[in-house]
Amino acid sequence: MQTAVSVPKEEEKPKSRGRRRLPISFILGGLAILGAVIYLVYANTQANAVYYFTVSELKNCSICNTQSVRVAGVVQAGSVVHNDQQQKISFVISDGGHSLPVVYSGIVPDIFRPGITVVVEGHYTGLGPFQAQTLLAKCPSKFQAATPGP
Amino acid sequence: MYFSDIGIISLILALGFAVFTIVVATLGATRALPQLVASAKRSVLTVAFFLILASVALIVSFLTHDFGLSYVAQHSNLAMPWYYSASAFYGGQEGSLLYWALMSSIFSAIFVFTAKRAPTVLVPYVLATLMGIETFLLIVLTTVSNPFVRLPVPLANGVGLNPLLMDPGMLIHPPMLLMGYMSFSLPFAFAVAAMITGKLDSEWLRSIRRWMLAAWSIQTLGLVLGAWWAYHVLGWGGYWGWDPVENAALLPWLTATAFLHSTMVQERRGMLKVWNLSLVFASFALSIFGTFEVRSGIINSVHSFAYSTIGSYFLAFLGIVIVFSIGLFIFRLPKLQPEQEFDSVISREGSFLLNNLLLVGAMFATLWGTLFPLISNAVQHQTLTVGPPFYNQVDGPIFIVLILAMGIGPLLAWRRTSTRALRRNLGIPALVAAICAAVLPLLGIRDIWANIAFAVCSFTAGAILYELWRGVRVRHRHGEPYLFALYMLFERYRQRYGGYLVHLGLVMLAIGIIGSHFFQVQQEAVLKPGQQMTIANYKLVYLGNIDRTYPDVEVVTAQLQVWHDGQLQQYIYPGSQLYASFANQPTSLISISTYGLTDLYVFLANWNGLSDATIRVFVNPLVPLVWLGGIVMLLGGIICWWPQRRKRLVSVIVPHTEKEPASQRVGALAPPSVESIVGHSDSSKAEVAPGGEGTLASPPVGVFSGTSENDEEASI
Repeated sequence: MQTAVSVPKEEEKPKSRGRRRLPISFILGGLAILGAVIYLVYANTQANAVYYFTVSELKNCSICNTQSVRVAGVVQAGSVVHNDQQQKISFVISDGGHSLPVVYSGIVPDIFRPGITVVVEGHYTGLGPFQAQTLLAKCPSKFQAATPGP
Repeated sequence: MYFSDIGIISLILALGFAVFTIVVATLGATRALPQLVASAKRSVLTVAFFLILASVALIVSFLTHDFGLSYVAQHSNLAMPWYYSASAFYGGQEGSLLYWALMSSIFSAIFVFTAKRAPTVLVPYVLATLMGIETFLLIVLTTVSNPFVRLPVPLANGVGLNPLLMDPGMLIHPPMLLMGYMSFSLPFAFAVAAMITGKLDSEWLRSIRRWMLAAWSIQTLGLVLGAWWAYHVLGWGGYWGWDPVENAALLPWLTATAFLHSTMVQERRGMLKVWNLSLVFASFALSIFGTFEVRSGIINSVHSFAYSTIGSYFLAFLGIVIVFSIGLFIFRLPKLQPEQEFDSVISREGSFLLNNLLLVGAMFATLWGTLFPLISNAVQHQTLTVGPPFYNQVDGPIFIVLILAMGIGPLLAWRRTSTRALRRNLGIPALVAAICAAVLPLLGIRDIWANIAFAVCSFTAGAILYELWRGVRVRHRHGEPYLFALYMLFERYRQRYGGYLVHLGLVMLAIGIIGSHFFQVQQEAVLKPGQQMTIANYKLVYLGNIDRTYPDVEVVTAQLQVWHDGQLQQYIYPGSQLYASFANQPTSLISISTYGLTDLYVFLANWNGLSDATIRVFVNPLVPLVWLGGIVMLLGGIICWWPQRRKRLVSVIVPHTEKEPASQRVGALAPPSVESIVGHSDSSKAEVAPGGEGTLASPPVGVFSGTSENDEEASI
């Protein structure tokens, strides 16, 4: 089967010089797709972008009443309280300076425990605890190094 | 003298030989001295030998529990079974780098052994590039990230491996992904060699395509295994979370997929040369970027990033790769003129361009999302992130269009397609899609997007299967039994039918993703013995907890009955285990039972004593198709890759020897009927066939590109 591969493609070559490179239909089609992709990215970035704060930054937050935000911090020792009746867990996270009480109900990652860094996503009114809808635990460094992939 | 000393000595020697190879190979190429090139080849084998030796030294240190070695002490302990001890070899940063360097050198050695198949002029430059990459890795390994650093005082016992990693998935998934990242270096080396020598012909294209196909297959396997591991170990009911680390592995896969398609345009029509080379460079650069991202901690991920100095080394390397590639482009641009031009959008090359735009678009969108925290921080001085909804809503539609194009593209002819032929080919798949779209709402699927997505999938699956059926039917008419005809299609036209199989696998995977994305149901309940919970059509009856204690691990499992359709199906035991060495980190034992195409995913979220458990249940429809589709894709990739037996001898047997070149070319172009006709030595028809519309339009360049214009003749 390999014989055919080396057949030269010369026959068409002379014609191709000096003609326009790309028919207009290709350019239009390409632009349409490009436009669609850019629109998708733009619209969804607008719709889904979430602010990412440290605990200290959250204290001066002006948009947190209306928008869901993400906050990162270290779970404080002795602060974790499970409430089995309501399926809730509450704890305090800190970034060294400020601390923030958090209430969360949902899947608690296996590695969640005091001392690890977590990222919570949810609403904060400035009064009472941070209402988290999502809780992400950061895996310890060794885990990270071990699985460079998903 | 410890085993680890052999390791460090080997690394230093390997570094020396790698540098030596670069010098000798370059000299051999520029001065045209074949002896020097031969010496470079031997030197590459020496590098591989020393890296194997270094890896053996590290594995032996693990198996003999040499806790005087810092890396061993940090990643294993006495209680671990030997296979986890051995796999801890790549369980940390230093070791995974050593593993990477090892794989890189082994692939380089494989290249040396198969070098006679590659164009001779390219070989020295390929060797030099590969050893350039190896040199970088070895410099990092011998300086900042040395796995053979000894502790001043040996520890009595090691720290152990993170229990999340003590899973069979751990044994294969990380090495597969690392191998995937690494394997993009071979196409890269071929691209560099071609740019330096200016030899960008079809022979080069065939070599680079084969290596890229291998890289693509390995990366596909790595991605699927990663998803499988996440699904079976992490306990959140899903398999893909659009985490930056996952995205990093997906990005080079997308560009590699684009490359595998657009090279066919280059092969057939001599176009898109610059574009194809860019895709090769992009794939390699993205795999380096992935490593950098994982190691540097610049982006927040669920896989937390330990700050590590190694990141800046990778960034520097990435910079060198990019600058080097751009330099080569500027140097070589005059040689990269297209040989032909595009005619019509409704053509095979038009569909490949569409495919490429979509894949690269998906790549940029994913990269944008991954880097968005950095971008927003630079622009607004505020860090913003985008989560899974962003990726689902951007990449989802792109992939649906891609799947649609996948169904239509292979049916189009090169240059231009007559609408009549197109209508004839698309009629049946379109009918299948319409029936699917009409029937699904009756089955309770009311979500419009899910319906569209399923209809598109059924269209493409219909198109592929119909195409297969037509091929089989034509061969069958010429006297082959159906199954044998199917086998012969795959045997004769590997590239083409292997490609169809990959497409079919991707459609299956897409159906699995759509099913689990739109129709996942979850529920949680706190149960006492005898209590039950109902979800979808499943009823779970909780019986109690079982607590077992072993020397190094404690296992708690809940016992539940699964009832489905009014019948007791089975007992399941979701649980949690606690390794003595990681007392505050329980690992879940997830129970996944499959009924038909639906997974019942049960997770023990919490428990209290022996008679209280919090059970979380997910019903994940169609998820088994994700794994099945992954396997089919891999199989297709392997079929595409598998070397074709050379069939030149066959020609001697056929009469009419003077017609030989023509008939063989026709055979290579994949019209089963024409080939069989030639087999029947009916020379008049054999002459008609090459005069067909498509064959004249496009020079017969090879077996890789089956043409549907010939199939149109076949189906007449």
